[in-house]
Amino acid sequence: CDKDFEDINTNPNVPTVVTPDLLLSGVIKNTLNDQVNEAWSIGNIVVQHTAKIQFVNEDRYLWGERTSVWNSVYGNMRNVKNIIDIAENTVPVQNNYLGVALVMKSWMFSLATDAHGDIPYSQATQAKSDAVYLTTYDTQESIYAGILADLKKANEILGTSNETVAGDLLFGGALGKWKKLANSLRLRYLMRISDRKDVKAEMQAILDDPATNPIFESNSDNAALVYLASSPNQWPLYTSRVGSFDEFRLSKTLGDVLTNLNDPRLKVFARPTEKSVAAGTPKIEGIPNGLEDTQALSYNGGPLAVSRVGLVFACLVCNDAGKPAPVANASRGLLMTYAELQFILAEAREKNLISTGNAETFYTQGIQANMDYYKAITPAEYGIDLTVPADYFTQDGVAYTGSQAEKLAKIGTQKWIALLFNGLEAWYDWRRTNLPVLVPGASNLNNNKIPVRYIYPLAEQSLNAAGREAAVTRQGPDNLNTKVWWDFN
Amino acid sequence: GKVTSGEDASPIPGVNIVVKGSTLGTISDADGAYTINVPSADATLIFTFVGYLPQEASLAGRTTVDIVLATDSKQLSEVVVTALGIQKEKKSLGYAVQSVSGENLTTARETNVSNQLAGKIAGVTVVGSNSGIGGSARVTIRGERSIDLNKNQPLYVVDGVPISNGFTGASGRNNLEVDFGNGAGFVNSDDIESMTVLKGGAATALYGSRAANGVIVIKTKSGKGTKGIGVEVNSNTTFESVLRLPKYQNVYGQGNGNGGDFAFVNGGGAGLTDGTDESWGPAFNGQQYPQFNSPRTLNGQTIPYRGGDMNAPAGSVITPTAWLNDKDGVKNFFQTGRTLTNNVALVGSNAHGDFRLSYTGLNETGTVPNTDLKRNTVSFGGGYNLTPKFSARAFVSYIKSESGNRPSISYGTENIMYLFNCWLPRSVDVGALKDYWMDGQQGRRQFNWNYNYHDNPYFTMYENTNGQFVDRIIGNLSLKYDFTPWLSLQLRTATDYANDRRQFRRAFSTQRFPFGQYRENNIVTEERNSDFLLTFNKEIVPSVFTLTASVGGNQLRQKSDFLEVNAPQLNIPGIYNLTNSRAPLQTTQTDTKKRVNSLYASVQLGYKNMLFLDLSARNDWSSALTLPQELKTLGIGTEDNSYFYSSAALSAVVTDMVQLPEAISFAKVRASIAQVGNDTDPFTFTQSYNPSDPYGSSQVYGENDRLANFSLKPEISTAYEGGLDLRFFGNRLGVDVTMYESRTRNQILNIPLSITTGYNSRSINAGEIKNHGIEIMLTTVPIQTTWGLRWNFDVNFSKNRSEVLSLSDGLNNFVMASRRVSIEARVGERMGDMYGIGFARVQNTDPTKPYYDASGQSVGQMVYDSQGRPIATTDRIKLGNYNPDWLAGINNTLTYKGVKLGFLFDVRQGGKVYSETQTVGREGGIIQETLQGRENGYYPQASVQNDPQLLNAPAGTYVVGEGVNQNADGSFRVNDHRVLPRQWHSAWTGGRSIAEGVMYDASFVKLREVQLGYTFPDKFFGKVPFRSVSIALVGRNLALWTDVPHIDPEVMSYSGGTALPGIEYMSIPSSRSYGFNVSLKF
Repeated sequence: CDKDFEDINTNPNVPTVVTPDLLLSGVIKNTLNDQVNEAWSIGNIVVQHTAKIQFVNEDRYLWGERTSVWNSVYGNMRNVKNIIDIAENTVPVQNNYLGVALVMKSWMFSLATDAHGDIPYSQATQAKSDAVYLTTYDTQESIYAGILADLKKANEILGTSNETVAGDLLFGGALGKWKKLANSLRLRYLMRISDRKDVKAEMQAILDDPATNPIFESNSDNAALVYLASSPNQWPLYTSRVGSFDEFRLSKTLGDVLTNLNDPRLKVFARPTEKSVAAGTPKIEGIPNGLEDTQALSYNGGPLAVSRVGLVFACLVCNDAGKPAPVANASRGLLMTYAELQFILAEAREKNLISTGNAETFYTQGIQANMDYYKAITPAEYGIDLTVPADYFTQDGVAYTGSQAEKLAKIGTQKWIALLFNGLEAWYDWRRTNLPVLVPGASNLNNNKIPVRYIYPLAEQSLNAAGREAAVTRQGPDNLNTKVWWDFN
Repeated sequence: GKVTSGEDASPIPGVNIVVKGSTLGTISDADGAYTINVPSADATLIFTFVGYLPQEASLAGRTTVDIVLATDSKQLSEVVVTALGIQKEKKSLGYAVQSVSGENLTTARETNVSNQLAGKIAGVTVVGSNSGIGGSARVTIRGERSIDLNKNQPLYVVDGVPISNGFTGASGRNNLEVDFGNGAGFVNSDDIESMTVLKGGAATALYGSRAANGVIVIKTKSGKGTKGIGVEVNSNTTFESVLRLPKYQNVYGQGNGNGGDFAFVNGGGAGLTDGTDESWGPAFNGQQYPQFNSPRTLNGQTIPYRGGDMNAPAGSVITPTAWLNDKDGVKNFFQTGRTLTNNVALVGSNAHGDFRLSYTGLNETGTVPNTDLKRNTVSFGGGYNLTPKFSARAFVSYIKSESGNRPSISYGTENIMYLFNCWLPRSVDVGALKDYWMDGQQGRRQFNWNYNYHDNPYFTMYENTNGQFVDRIIGNLSLKYDFTPWLSLQLRTATDYANDRRQFRRAFSTQRFPFGQYRENNIVTEERNSDFLLTFNKEIVPSVFTLTASVGGNQLRQKSDFLEVNAPQLNIPGIYNLTNSRAPLQTTQTDTKKRVNSLYASVQLGYKNMLFLDLSARNDWSSALTLPQELKTLGIGTEDNSYFYSSAALSAVVTDMVQLPEAISFAKVRASIAQVGNDTDPFTFTQSYNPSDPYGSSQVYGENDRLANFSLKPEISTAYEGGLDLRFFGNRLGVDVTMYESRTRNQILNIPLSITTGYNSRSINAGEIKNHGIEIMLTTVPIQTTWGLRWNFDVNFSKNRSEVLSLSDGLNNFVMASRRVSIEARVGERMGDMYGIGFARVQNTDPTKPYYDASGQSVGQMVYDSQGRPIATTDRIKLGNYNPDWLAGINNTLTYKGVKLGFLFDVRQGGKVYSETQTVGREGGIIQETLQGRENGYYPQASVQNDPQLLNAPAGTYVVGEGVNQNADGSFRVNDHRVLPRQWHSAWTGGRSIAEGVMYDASFVKLREVQLGYTFPDKFFGKVPFRSVSIALVGRNLALWTDVPHIDPEVMSYSGGTALPGIEYMSIPSSRSYGFNVSLKF
């Protein structure tokens, strides 16, 4: 008496089989949105691009667990794994989809390991395919070996099959750009582990054969998600409440650096204080990081005297009196930019990790590229003049002069500026280089140390206790101050 | 003589009359008259009849003895409705059942009828959602058996046929969480004759899968017993007021603890602390500040704009007004709710049939402004004997329920309690918010005290509505044919169909929806049951053996179609129509189906009406456990969709078997064992890919994060039960004790996985839960006088423990739900345990762990950091269990002639509750506790922690936590760090991470119900054709005694449609109700 039961129990609402393009669009959309949100909620703060005037726990390093990177990476990795499985099981193998998926996979795992240290990697996302329900944590060293191998493979296989890649929100299916991203990421990650490993040969090998290993050549190669004008695919902060958005202000650290350099990007990153505008003398002023909440809210006489974050990044109702409403899709979701690559090359050249090119040229191109990027995305109606002052590149603070340490500090500072809103990359890079020099906020609650790590999600204590425990034993206490493997200095 | 009823003076036919100490006896005729021959003139007659108290009468030489039998509410349920609607004599049952009669549901009533069970039935826990009118009720019977929080609800059955009872709260997506009530809450109490609770496995085994958590059997009223045509009218009017609001501080207004002044400029931080939403500002000292409700002037002239009208002419100035606390602002925001319920029923019967036609109108306005519920119910029940052997019965109820608005719940700007419990500074004049549009900006810009984070609460309630419109039909039809007096066949079919349409409106300028929003949900659910039942009922050996045997079958068809369309932003303000969307519409559609076929049989063998054996067996075939087509094609998975289970129950009436002391009037022992199988939700076998919002022209899919299992087996639970029913002194004292134990294994669960596996959960068969407890029902009649005074004193007591015996391989701990605290099932522990971050304390058990004190002197003390803040534990610790240690209902009924006074206390002892109101209300400086540390105001220079000046601060301007600091050498000293009050109160919860400090003992006593009624004697009306008139003053939830601050501990919060017990999360305050009831029959 159950003869039509199998039809009744067949789910008519959703498919059980999909094509890879449908998954790829979701992976790109979700991970880049998560990047933006994580940059906003912690990344910009910890590297002192922004500072909080209210609800200051993050700014005082009272972090608790931060699960968003973890959940974003592993949650989306499920779909990356599906793309890989579909691509590999198709005859002939869909190398283009496979290559794109490997690039995404590499980038995503790096986000998680850079944030947490040792993490599940080799056994991750294998519950369906291999019935792995308890994953072991791999060492960061082995994870990076895997990431670099995957990126290398991606570069090799992209463009070797015939299928068109659809659902590609980053590059519209342009495989050449994916190859460039794969190689640019290789350089990023080789640099990341350069204090631990000798990466010279591998870096140089990439640069020696640009035909085989193309890298970013201009801002048009940027891996950046372009948002849409209409809901719900607008800039993720566009629908914030104004009060929530305005808790975050320009950090005095970034504000002072840019002011001293007379840097035009300051006007993109922040707005003149309302007080100074009312007085007819518009001035951009940041607030120190890590103040106690009462003090933060009273700093400089109150929020009116502290610069709000720039209109480019702002929410719908975050405009100033008499100013145009923010545009829903001015800003972009950044994965990696040409500017960052130039700074990587500058540092590599300066440290003689590579012998190609000229450090100063890379450095200058990096600055210029970032200036150009903001010029391109800032809506004209905002009336922001982004002309680079004539003496910008020759002033002491920017000119590529001085000792090697001073040059590296300048590269570090400019890279730090250019990495604004680029997920947690500025934090990861700062942890490696300790550049620029950042001082923990006065009322920090972390023994006067800037955090260098996220703790593992508390849920792992219940759901994967043995795996986590082994990683903690190997790596050090599960707190904000335990350095990850590549963080050697 | 003649026997009449004490209730309405009508004659009682069929009364058993025996001469005491003999076998002589007779029964009364249709007019209640009887004659009997007695051996002597001073013999004593005993009158007994089901539903009435037995009575003895000594003849004392009389030849005519007229007797008035008093009704016995306990005895009324002597015949009880058991599984499948089969009526059985209570004494024959081998398991415990308990009933509430319809009268008890309509006098002191609740909109959701399930709430009426609280305190009245032993072993039943009812938690209302406190989400405003007509909210859901979470009912659990004998504790929790399933690790899935959503699977512990009983089955509701109307006239023998199940109806659907889902939690139909909206999901929490985008701050749109609303409790729309659960299915059983729609049943109209005026149409209910009785509600019977079948608790144990043996009682429910015949209902199969869905009855594993008990059954609530609803029997609808009929016209039976009415002579000719009668009209019954019941009218009930009640008023509701808020039972409990947080205790606020009334000393300090808006501000952030900087000791400075306040000034409103734009409600966004442009003035002096006018962007904050906390109450750490200046004390109310009679000073004057410009405020959002202060008048504006332009060039010295008053203009019709308020401080908060941000469209006021440029250059206008806000005139300072007095800085006052709005002590009763929140209280005055709430209003007196009103519920009118009117029922008219036309009833009638004759020798061939009976009918009842009833209309009920419920019209309710809530305590929260602009919330309402209108429910109109038309019901018809009737039966007709087509031939002496062939009869038909039908019941149909059409329910039209309309609610223009129900309040949003959960933490977030859409919930007014988010404001009132945490973020409404004490200086804000709530009444001044009533006019909630900016002048000239009607429909576009709200007027408020703050434009940073919050919505005006009046704006929220009047503009951002959550409407619900339900059409529901519950009906059943049965045909019965008596082949012989002892063999009959019944065919029955029933439908429960509901069309539930919901409309969520959000106006322009809402904080979360600047362009407004309009969302429609359309949910169609249908449940159809068809069954047959062949019954054999015969005394197979006259006066010795009776046999009742039934064979039956049932087909269940369930369907649920969910459609949601969302216009995420609107073009034109105020037009709530999907065509007015300024962005692409977002659509979600989910259609589900399920079918279960069943065959069952039961046998009851009775021996001399004193020993009864009940056996039942059932087999189910469930579509939900059937592999779907695509898996069959691929040859994946194993199928086990058929499951068999059985039960046995024994009942022995000891008093009929052996001679017991006179004092014992009745004694029965019972025992049972039963198994119940269970299936799962439809499509559990499907590993799906789910769509999300497209990105431009790119479609977006992602794989479900639940990993399907293609080899699920049915769940099985086994229950044992034993009980004793004793009555003494002619039923003046009764004790009914039940002990039970059940074990549920192979539960079908979504066990959580570490997301590193790629999935968040996996469906498996796992776990074994042991559930055991005791129920005691005590019934006493302490006073019964010959002149008519009677006092009934009844107590229901229950105690339940559910323990986790095992989970699955590699899994020792299952997170059932979490929100600040996590509700976890851990092997060897109790169900309902709550875990969370606690306070680090000194210990002397493990030298390798922090805060080890070898001396042992400071053990147990809280440890503070160098800034005087409590240190949090790294790991989650056990914070308590949300289940009560025991429950008791204490019911008193005093009757004197027509007067009846009843009052019911509901006692809950033990259990913990987490209070989000404490956590966040402390941050906001709004609740009374936050005066700690500012008894003497703020110390102006010490706005910074560790400021050396804090050492000179006067007492009453800081807090020093009780506990210790750890010295550099590892030893401990008494904590002496001073913490500023604002910092202290958020440090207490570690910035919303430490839960230990806000856990409370959830014990309470509630005065659940009070009734004072009067039934007019017939003679009062003389020739007026009233048959019965009664009036009553009624009240429910009149008083609450508890140690939990601010909130009603009887709370439940929601997360994504799952009810979370033990977690208070900005609940709408519960209400007390009081009013009157008038009932007429003519």
